[in-house]
Amino acid sequence: MSAPSVDALRSQFRAALAAARSPGDLKTLRDQFLSRKHGLVTALVKSIASATPEEKRTLGAASNALKQEIEAALDAREAEVAATAPPKDALDVTLPGRRPLLGRRHPLTQVRERVEDIFVAMGYQVIEGPELEDDWHNFEALNMPAEHPARDMQDTLYLTSPVPVPDGGRAATLLRTHTSGMQIRYMETHEPPVRVIAPGRVYRRDQFDATHTPMFTQIEGLVVDEGISLGDLRGTLNGFAEQFFGGRVATRFRPSFFPYTEPSAELDVECQGCAGKGCNLCKHTGWIEILGCGMVHPAVFEAVGYDSDKYTGFAFGVGIERLALRLYGVDDIRMFYENDLRFLEQVAL
Amino acid sequence: MKAPASWIADLAGLPASTSATDIAHRIAGGGFEVASIEGDTIDFEITANRPDCLSIRGLAKEAATAFGVQGSRSPGVQGPTTVQGPGSVRVVVESPLCGRFSLATADVKIGASPTWLADRLTACGVRPINNIVDITNYVMFEMGQPMHAYDVTKVAGAQLVARQARAGEKLKTLDGQDRTLDPSMLVIADRDQVVGIGGVMGGTGSEVSSGTTSIALEAAWFQPATVRATSKKLGLKTEASTRFERGADIGVTTVAIERALQLLEEIGAGHRTSATTDVYPAPVTRAPISLPPSRLARLLGDTVPAADVERILGSLGFDVAPSTDGWMVTPPTGRVDVHREADLIEEVGRHWGVNRIPASFPALRSAPRPSDPGVSRARWIRRVLCGAGLQEAVTFTFMEAAAAAPFSTDPALVTIANPLSEKFAVLRPSIIPGLLDSLIYNRRRGMTNVRLFEAGAVFATSGESQRVAWVLCGVRDGHWSDGPASVDIFDALGVAEVLADGWGLEMTSPYVDHVPGFVRGRTAQLRTDRSIGVVGQIDPAIAEARGLPAGVVVVAGEIDLTALSGDPSSPRKVTPLPRFPAVVRDLSLVLDASLSAATVRATIRQPSCSTLHEVREFDRYQGKGIPDGNISLAYRLTFRDADRTLTDREVDEAMDVIIAALQRECGATVRGL
Repeated sequence: MSAPSVDALRSQFRAALAAARSPGDLKTLRDQFLSRKHGLVTALVKSIASATPEEKRTLGAASNALKQEIEAALDAREAEVAATAPPKDALDVTLPGRRPLLGRRHPLTQVRERVEDIFVAMGYQVIEGPELEDDWHNFEALNMPAEHPARDMQDTLYLTSPVPVPDGGRAATLLRTHTSGMQIRYMETHEPPVRVIAPGRVYRRDQFDATHTPMFTQIEGLVVDEGISLGDLRGTLNGFAEQFFGGRVATRFRPSFFPYTEPSAELDVECQGCAGKGCNLCKHTGWIEILGCGMVHPAVFEAVGYDSDKYTGFAFGVGIERLALRLYGVDDIRMFYENDLRFLEQVAL
Repeated sequence: MKAPASWIADLAGLPASTSATDIAHRIAGGGFEVASIEGDTIDFEITANRPDCLSIRGLAKEAATAFGVQGSRSPGVQGPTTVQGPGSVRVVVESPLCGRFSLATADVKIGASPTWLADRLTACGVRPINNIVDITNYVMFEMGQPMHAYDVTKVAGAQLVARQARAGEKLKTLDGQDRTLDPSMLVIADRDQVVGIGGVMGGTGSEVSSGTTSIALEAAWFQPATVRATSKKLGLKTEASTRFERGADIGVTTVAIERALQLLEEIGAGHRTSATTDVYPAPVTRAPISLPPSRLARLLGDTVPAADVERILGSLGFDVAPSTDGWMVTPPTGRVDVHREADLIEEVGRHWGVNRIPASFPALRSAPRPSDPGVSRARWIRRVLCGAGLQEAVTFTFMEAAAAAPFSTDPALVTIANPLSEKFAVLRPSIIPGLLDSLIYNRRRGMTNVRLFEAGAVFATSGESQRVAWVLCGVRDGHWSDGPASVDIFDALGVAEVLADGWGLEMTSPYVDHVPGFVRGRTAQLRTDRSIGVVGQIDPAIAEARGLPAGVVVVAGEIDLTALSGDPSSPRKVTPLPRFPAVVRDLSLVLDASLSAATVRATIRQPSCSTLHEVREFDRYQGKGIPDGNISLAYRLTFRDADRTLTDREVDEAMDVIIAALQRECGATVRGL
């Protein structure tokens, strides 16, 4: 058997040392090279016996040097590994942590609070009111007398028998179709200037499917003062859209019709799904409708006893679900009411 | 409203080369949403206030104004044509619900319509029938005036009377249905019987058929509310009723008849045989509306040049006369939506361009008023309960009676008169049933640990109130290091305690014998100085009936927020921290198992022991070493004085008093500690 050369053995050791990771690896390495019985270096030293005296001298010195180098390297590495090895009572920290239980606010709440906060920062007061309404506050005072064709726009759910209201006013006969009734309640009890938003659940006699729901959440806004103009409405809602969607977002007002505003409009924002180029989300128009708005109809002021010559105002109604669908990239509105934890746990804390 | 773009272009005076897309977008800019464009046909969504635009004429005015072209024209009618002979059918208006009734007769030859006419009707979504019916439909689409043609030979007594129906009168309408009428309905009758329901649909008896040679053409105006009510009552919605119930143009009935007769001649289908009879008891004249430029600028927030105001209103068919203070503007009779200054300003605004108006921001003239207290309360509840590891849910306010009833203390639920389905028929008497359904929904999809809460309105026949509720099931933690500790009612009770802390309320939770929906013996009433709610284990039979697998324990709680006053998020005064150390003593008692912890706790709080600061249960044991029917309860008592350090003797004395009271009042024995 011809023994490997000193240089070959040195390279073999260095490569093996570089690959050694654990104390066990190092022990194996020490055995492999330095074992008295079968160590590779031991074998090399033994092979010297059959060499010439000249060879013996050089080979002897070289193999001794190799042996010392290996010993020193192994000692050093063993000390190094020992210093970084986990102690006996070490824990397996790769196991999962014990998370504190944390719940999340419902996505509809998160959107609602986001909208509320934007308007509160603009000086609005948040008001709340009953979900069961009477005909006066839901329709009549909003310029929708009985038999007004616009009542068809909001198919109403009626109560089988009237339910009393806390303030002792008219008994409730229906589920409010919008929170606009709060405009009336507020103006009936407060003088201008008015700057309020009224968030809450509203109800329509609608199918429950991917795009319709018989219950949804609305935020109604109302501003009344001397000299409030359509320009003020534009500025306010553009500001809202910028804050809500973040950064500059293109908006467009389209004339529309609501019985309680004149002029009336709908606000579209540029579709962010396609940056206005047209996609399925925006039905290839490049725009997404986000709310209805307009200048308060003078008949509404007259119903609550405001001087419609002196005061003007604007109102708007934002559908929270509509904003939430866009914000979360959800295409089925039912997801907001199923309370599936797999969905709810995806939204921000 | 489906409308051929070429027809609109024709009436608007637009070049024939104008594309359908261009026309659609220009009209849409004025407030008419486009549902679709298919070839030449544009489908507009016409808002309820604009019945005038349920016609090509109305849309053409919008288009002409939007494109800024002159020459929008009414359909080619050059005034009354020659008349042969007196009217052969007498017209009588007996009811004020018919505001105008115009009629002329003609001899006709029934046949098919020419292709151009049939094609336009098809594009509008109506099937061509015969030349006479087609002409009445054509005029309706062109001018917005619904018309009806009678076979004169089938009109008994040669008279048509507009009157209210008599109770029980019957009519077979053109759709083949037998209709029973009532006096709220306006009908057209001949000498013997009803021949049509005014503004809704004609009857089969006087229908124009292939054998018809002589017709009477009707163009009338019916009161919108009547048509609307009749259409609803009969469940019969027609092209005519849609226009009448929103308000047809009372000014054009005679023009419509002239137009129909002109078409009759034009396509060779016949010629007129009488002058137009026009019964119009109270002719409508529109009052002029004052429009000062200052008011226009105030509402829009922009100054529109006078020439543009005049151009826009004039092009839309308004009569604009200068006045000392701006203009006096008279709307056309067809614009039933325009009555006051704001309506005119809208007309100017939408054609001037809302997006051209400079954006401004309204100045705050007074300090904002504080928001309603419910707003910050709801936010506080969400913050606390989310922090406590409960997930907020949003469930429907209405539900099926079977889900709601088990949780209602009131036998009568608030019900919806016209629910869409039985699933949404009653208003929730409690938030728990909705949360329970959501919990079951998750459980059935493999999520075992469910912790939900919701705050919102609940409903009783006595009115609406606000509550917060929570439901829990599964294990408490679920970490790999723990055993599977299932939630129990003390998890639900703990949530109530955390909430009560918010109002600074000291809560007792006595056993309550029966609360609907909960397990007897595992339910506690939440009390402060009054009852504020309940916690307990949901009756498994109810949960299983809603689809929960057997053997799953669900605990729940609910608090009536209306019963609590004050805002839990408002700052509270703090008490100074103690300056002297406390002395802690543990006390282990053996007691009759029927004694409640609340009783024992109350006994420990002896009035003479004023230094006893806190009493807390820390162990409860029943089993080996404790006699049957007894339990062992261990208490940790903390003594403290605000002004000095207590001595062991003082505490010993207090402990003696407490132990004596426990022995005397609770029959307790003290176990060696």
